[in-house]
Amino acid sequence: MARIRIERVSRRFGGVTALEDLSLDIAHGEFLVLLGPSGCGKSTLLRTIAGLLAPDSGRILLDDSDVTDLPARDRGVAMVFQSYALYPHLSVARNIAFPLRARRTDRAERDARVAEVGAALGLSGLLDRRPRELSGGQRQRVALARALVRDPAAFLLDEPLSNLDARLRTSTRAELTELHRRLGSTFVHVTHDQVEAMTMATRIALLDGGRLEQVGAPHEVYDRPESAFVAGFLGAPPMNLLPARLAERDGALHAVADGVDIPVGLPVEQPEGSTAAEDSGRDVLLGVRPEQLSVRRDGAPGGGLRGRVRLLENLGGEEVAHCLVGGIRVAVRGTRPLGVAVDDPLALDCPSEFVHLFAPTSGRRLERRARDRIHVPI
Amino acid sequence: MTGKATTWTRAGGHLVLGGLGVLCAVPIYWLFATSLRRPQDVSSAALLPWPLSLQNYADAWAALDLPTLLGNTALMATAIAAGQLLIGLLAGYAFAAWDFRFSRALHLAFVATWLVPFQVTMLPNYVLLHQLGLLNTIAGVVLPQLCSALGVVLLRQHMLGFPRELLDAARMDGRGSWRILWTVVVPNLGPPLASLAVLLFINAWNEYFWPALVLQRSNAVLQLGLRSFMGAEGNDWGPMMATAGMACLPVLLLYLVLQRRVVDGFVRSGLK
Repeated sequence: MARIRIERVSRRFGGVTALEDLSLDIAHGEFLVLLGPSGCGKSTLLRTIAGLLAPDSGRILLDDSDVTDLPARDRGVAMVFQSYALYPHLSVARNIAFPLRARRTDRAERDARVAEVGAALGLSGLLDRRPRELSGGQRQRVALARALVRDPAAFLLDEPLSNLDARLRTSTRAELTELHRRLGSTFVHVTHDQVEAMTMATRIALLDGGRLEQVGAPHEVYDRPESAFVAGFLGAPPMNLLPARLAERDGALHAVADGVDIPVGLPVEQPEGSTAAEDSGRDVLLGVRPEQLSVRRDGAPGGGLRGRVRLLENLGGEEVAHCLVGGIRVAVRGTRPLGVAVDDPLALDCPSEFVHLFAPTSGRRLERRARDRIHVPI
Repeated sequence: MTGKATTWTRAGGHLVLGGLGVLCAVPIYWLFATSLRRPQDVSSAALLPWPLSLQNYADAWAALDLPTLLGNTALMATAIAAGQLLIGLLAGYAFAAWDFRFSRALHLAFVATWLVPFQVTMLPNYVLLHQLGLLNTIAGVVLPQLCSALGVVLLRQHMLGFPRELLDAARMDGRGSWRILWTVVVPNLGPPLASLAVLLFINAWNEYFWPALVLQRSNAVLQLGLRSFMGAEGNDWGPMMATAGMACLPVLLLYLVLQRRVVDGFVRSGLK
């Protein structure tokens, strides 16, 4: 087990900033998923923790000792690579034993460890094969066994599931979670797949452009995105984001735009000596998750979102309707059938507790203060 | 229609390749055929050497100290090829695996040595060997040829294609750079190493001018030994062909042994 601390780490490649002043504290036994789009710096961060890349500035601490200048082999962490990086000229057994050989473990112990780890991962019958004679899933398990055999303080996983087919990925995901539970070690897992992140992580760190956008448990990141980027990254389809303006309607604040008139669940604050509501007239980015929108059956007039269905997607148990609301694409997701057809006009409702507001320029989440006013953090 | 056209195209292709193959093989065949004729038939133009005779080989054996010549040549060629391979391996690894200051410029400098004609370095090297007291020794032949730009460039190219994650994995698994080279890189570079080894060995084996300059006597390596059959009153073709035939054999054997890997190596480097 190991606690990994990243303190103000920056790294540039030529003119490109891969990591910018990034700090992150990963606790003992955590399963942290580094999530983000391609080029967000997540692999760079993992390789920096591993010791394969030196940061330009900042420190990496493992269990309170500074390992920033320690070579990879002395850090006691193991890594599973995206391509698995098995040594093609060695048998499975020798691949697994490779880290032990490098540490000059004696032969009897080495053989015992290889047999033990091989059995734990269901590789016992394959120990004499070469990597090219294995299937993708088997190779992945050999790579995992090679990491396990060292009994490392932490596991670093660089998109280990991305080369597997969809079915195998689902089962391997469960196996990895189970392995983490059994070992209780610290896992740092890099992926761009949000399903992996949501299902496996105890905490998700979402990166964009070399910076941390948000760190939190999967439900926090999903339910309370700190920025429009996080909101637009998570979810399938992701959160709908519509530019709107706050306006007062019967003593409550509404987000209003072309085809949009939705209560945001805030009372109007009226500062003393003023007749205008304080936040009224302010531009915001309105965020609503597709599954929180419901199609209004009666088609009665009223608030909510009004638009026209452009496309229907059948997901089996569920259905996604892509609509156009005032020129903006809005997705609605619900149990099939949704009861709408292409080109139908439709009205959508959303409970105000599921309405998110973001600042239109910075993209940061707008928060409620003690007095229930909204303000921009930072 | 297309089937027919393809057949004709293929037949044409085979014809051209077959013709080229014959063109390449005929001189070698003629060399061995002449060496097996009786001494009085040496200038005969008959396709088949008949009756067969080993007299030319016996004459060559009597005229030259063949075992010593073969031994010396093998020693020289092996030392040169091994040296070039080792330096190519180390330099190629450095160029491919690390980003260091001026690595591009240094690599270009390596490539540029290709453009320097042998005649330019010949005299300075000769003078240097004289000062080192290495004239007339095999070491003198080998030393200035220990590094080959071809070897460095070719191995760098192959190592650039080597999966980086494998090197990273080996580092994570606790190996240092030196041991990664020998336990991970080299075992997976079999075909290119074999093809390069054959190429360098043949080059060194066939070298004539430089050994002639450094060794200054005809009884040191095979290629110089051949010269002793050329006289003012005419060439002694029979023993010369016999010696040349024997000079070809080791190279031919080496190629046969490594053939599959050599072809592999060239095919792969062609695909990259």
